Amino acid sequence: MSFLQRRRGLLPYLLLAPGLAWLLLFFLVPLYYMARQSLEEGTIFTGFEFAWNFQSYTDAIANYDEQILRSFLYGGMATLIAFAIGFPLAYAIAFRGGRWKNALLLLVIVPFFVTYLIRTLSWQTILEDNGWVVNALQFVGILADDGRLLATTAAVVAGITYNFLPFMILPVYASLERIDGRMLEAGYDLYGTRRAVFTRVTLPLAAPGVVAGSLLTFIPAVGDFINAELLGTPRQTMIGNVIQSRYLELTDYPTAAALSFILMALVLVVVLIWARIVGTESLMGVEAR
Amino acid sequence: MSKSSDWDIERALDAMQASGLSRRTLLKRTGAGALSLGLVGFLAACGDDDGGGTSEAQVIPKAEISETLTFANWPLYIDIDEETNQRPTLQKFQREYGTRVKYVEEINDNVEFFGKVRQQYEQGNSGGRDLHVVTDWLAARMDRLGYVQRFDKEEMPNAVRNIEDAVASPDFDPEREISMPWQSGQVLLIYRSDRTGGELTSINDLFDPKFKGRVTMLTEMRDTVGSVLLGEGIDPEDATKDQALAAIEKVEKASRDGQIRRFTGNEYTRDIARGDSVAILGWSGDAVQLIADNENIAYSQPEEGFMIFTDSMQIPVGAPNAFTAQKMIDFVYQPEIQAAITEYVNYVPPVKGAREILQDRSPEVAENELIFPDLAQAHNFKTFSEDEEAEIEAAFQRAIGA
Repeated sequence: MSFLQRRRGLLPYLLLAPGLAWLLLFFLVPLYYMARQSLEEGTIFTGFEFAWNFQSYTDAIANYDEQILRSFLYGGMATLIAFAIGFPLAYAIAFRGGRWKNALLLLVIVPFFVTYLIRTLSWQTILEDNGWVVNALQFVGILADDGRLLATTAAVVAGITYNFLPFMILPVYASLERIDGRMLEAGYDLYGTRRAVFTRVTLPLAAPGVVAGSLLTFIPAVGDFINAELLGTPRQTMIGNVIQSRYLELTDYPTAAALSFILMALVLVVVLIWARIVGTESLMGVEAR
Repeated sequence: MSKSSDWDIERALDAMQASGLSRRTLLKRTGAGALSLGLVGFLAACGDDDGGGTSEAQVIPKAEISETLTFANWPLYIDIDEETNQRPTLQKFQREYGTRVKYVEEINDNVEFFGKVRQQYEQGNSGGRDLHVVTDWLAARMDRLGYVQRFDKEEMPNAVRNIEDAVASPDFDPEREISMPWQSGQVLLIYRSDRTGGELTSINDLFDPKFKGRVTMLTEMRDTVGSVLLGEGIDPEDATKDQALAAIEKVEKASRDGQIRRFTGNEYTRDIARGDSVAILGWSGDAVQLIADNENIAYSQPEEGFMIFTDSMQIPVGAPNAFTAQKMIDFVYQPEIQAAITEYVNYVPPVKGAREILQDRSPEVAENELIFPDLAQAHNFKTFSEDEEAEIEAAFQRAIGA
């Protein structure tokens, strides 16, 4: 104990050491190797040589701009739809749930007991061309008689939304749950209409949850490739599919690594912009004023 | 004793909070540490070479028969006795040579398998495998990278004698020194006879606008592009790179126009069973099963000819029991052994004499065109040079959407 008493400044670092070591070994080191690989040039036959080859980055952006934009588009749409569905649901559970709260939350989580891939595969069956969903939509007239739901953009976005919905619902629920009912009462006491109280008290107080939920939904959604592969056509391919194909099929490791970094950088930019808009205080959960 | 250590902990924690370590300084210091480590590593590893094997394969030296053998293969690719869960062929091998065979069904996809074993094979380490079975284009690549060993053909008399002429001399391995066929398969038209309003006979039926949005093709480049080339009247064994690229463009256009719904591996079986697709390219082994299960599904060997693919056995570098592996290869080239395998897996055997044996035992297998096709109509895909192959593969990946 006296060793630590003499070196007090060391204690925080010692406590953080396991976490930092894990981060270093399993995140930073692989990241470094991937960065090196993105600057290499060659094929598996000629061998890869490190050559400060920034060409991979420029080529990747030039060749795959369509897929990159599409991934952000689908990710954004999925996040918005998840918010549109998730926020009312979380609100209902938090404020009107009563004794059904736990049961409802369980229902939100239960699909996650089934693995991601199987959930997506099951959508293939639900949306199949001769299934009841398509038949019902054709009957009502929303879908043309020879129309289909599977292998369309709608199916891919729906799949992504479905898979990440709980990531939106749970954080939003958590921050709505924490709202002190007295704040709302105070709002009403000050002659606030229901709408005013909602927009000026509830919503800002729920902001941390909304930000967390949207980040947890948007970031994985952009990099997703399973939904595009199983529910879409080649016209719906996302950047994740490109990275997979470049890596596995074409053994073009430098391009795959470059694309991964480009994806990371772009997502970071979007997240920073989002954080600016919402205000960093809400990220930290400071109560709104 | 405990009381004073409690106080020690209290004081240590207070000291920690007072130390002025904020999030900012932690990030700064960790960042600096990581950066300096990284810089050192960067400089040290600069100019490092990675990959690029030689293609000097070693001939397998003579040795003793080993006690064990590890055989990596695709699922459902060897005969199995469903009641006892034993594999008769492997049991027979054990009875003859005394070697216990460890059979691992770990190969589900060529590129996946390659991705998995590449690093090991690069180091000359087979990961314990004595035999692996991969499709011919990957067998060619394994050889180019120096990941496989050369056979001592003197140890394989049955194989030399009984191999079918159609697969005896592929362009990437004319002497069959680094690969030996395990089973072959055909790429066929499979379709829903209840939806197409008749029989389909040509590959170009897949481009018929009547079936728009209900056609799937294969993600295996050689199977899809080869079939399209045949539809154009070009023999894929002699095709030029430009012809291949033109065929890929045709496929890409069809995909863009919505004619082709998607590109699949063997998931096509689900799509056609459900009726989501109506006319597709598929593999003969699956066709046998689909037709047996669903009377609305039919197949057709295209009139222009069909693509044949061959999965071959290879012995990877560093295989611990390479000599015995050769014996296994030779063992399955005996017609009686091969007949048993073919009867179960329903793919095309590469061994002469298997059909005759099945004539008595299972005439429906012996007469089945899917299992014993007219090999004069079968075509292989040319093995292009590395650069051309890379260009064709990249074009195909773009066409199928990635």
